[in-house]
Amino acid sequence: MTIEWGNFLIVLVASVVAACGVVALFSVGIRLVSASGPWLRATGIASFVACGALVLYGVYLIVPTLHR
Amino acid sequence: MVALVIALALFFDFTNGFHDTANAMATPIATGALKPRMAVALAAVLNLVGAFLSTAVAQTISGGLIREGSNGVQITPVMIFAGLIGAILWNLVTWLLGLPSSSSHALFGGLIGAAVVGAGFGSIDVSVLLSKVVFPAILAPVTAGLVAYLATKIAYAVTKKKQRGRFRYGQVFTSSLVSLAHGTNDAQKTMGVITLTLIAAGTQKAGTGPALWVIVVCALAIAIGTYTGGWRIIRTLGKGLTEIEPGQGFAAEAATTATILASTHLGFALSTTQVASGSVIGTGIGRKGASVRWRTAGRIAVGWVITIPAAGLVGALASWIALAGIVGILADAAVAVGVIVWIFVYSRRNRVHAQNVHLEPTAFVRPKRRKRDRTGRTAK
Repeated sequence: MTIEWGNFLIVLVASVVAACGVVALFSVGIRLVSASGPWLRATGIASFVACGALVLYGVYLIVPTLHR
Repeated sequence: MVALVIALALFFDFTNGFHDTANAMATPIATGALKPRMAVALAAVLNLVGAFLSTAVAQTISGGLIREGSNGVQITPVMIFAGLIGAILWNLVTWLLGLPSSSSHALFGGLIGAAVVGAGFGSIDVSVLLSKVVFPAILAPVTAGLVAYLATKIAYAVTKKKQRGRFRYGQVFTSSLVSLAHGTNDAQKTMGVITLTLIAAGTQKAGTGPALWVIVVCALAIAIGTYTGGWRIIRTLGKGLTEIEPGQGFAAEAATTATILASTHLGFALSTTQVASGSVIGTGIGRKGASVRWRTAGRIAVGWVITIPAAGLVGALASWIALAGIVGILADAAVAVGVIVWIFVYSRRNRVHAQNVHLEPTAFVRPKRRKRDRTGRTAK
């Protein structure tokens, strides 16, 4: 019986980074997009865009014809 | 015989679809991000698309659990037939009880039962069973729960209270990702079953991929199943475990998606159902003031533990009867259809559908009694 603990650890770390990244970016977007001040607003929009890019990367990973 | 197996495989695909709608759509339905009908329609379309996107069929449907091949057991159509009966019946029983359980585990269980009767206990690779099913089943909800917990903490730390409703817009995207990923994985299982049956029957060359009609009917079966919506399971995941707010829903779905994608691409396969359930529990722990109904979580865990033995027992029984030859197979089919019809008739006594999915579950999964929610819709 072999449990691939190394692989599991990688999966755990990758999941934490990806999920927290998406949530953090989206949260920052929500917080800042209605804030006053052009810089804050721009940062908010930029974080929405970054979040969208991460989601698109998810689509890229799901569709096998894109990465094989 | 081949036609019978194909029909059963498609029905399994259907139950798989409607069992797993909840994984993606329970949380957006619970938070009101998507209307129930809209949510299942979206999930159905994405499952359909997903099924066409990926046709890399698993060559061993048993995932190595059964020692297949030249010096092991030859998996016969009769075994697949009996295994499918076990998987379908167990899927329907767990649906009736509103328990999210893994459809792949039900299929593994059914096949194991059939193989044990057909070829003895030696045909089962116990170490593969442990490393591929038992340990991941413990690790999946813990991993997803931890990820969802952290994500929820972040979401609630960054945003102000009145802004959190906007997480609903994000939920549409994250839940769509879960659906798409599901479509690319789960329809393939049935394609694999049908293709292996056709190869075993000699109507298709060994080593070839699934025929176009197989892909089309499998994609349709899982999409129709998804659209039918396993409302009971959606209710358990969306309402039964914990009260979900949009921010939590978004965090939970992000955690589910990230965990599933990481596990499929980095080589440590985890069950979608178990990941999704773990995420919901994790997000329940992560928000201040939210409580997790551990009794419901416990029932779900018990369901996971007995999925393989239960489906295996039915598979074994069906396989044993099928040994009697064509009469046995027909008897199997008749009994299975009888039980399926009975389950559907019984389920209508206490129907759960798009209109009452927001009610608190009381019939089988009992959370604490609540005064509100009697009118039909939950206060947001």
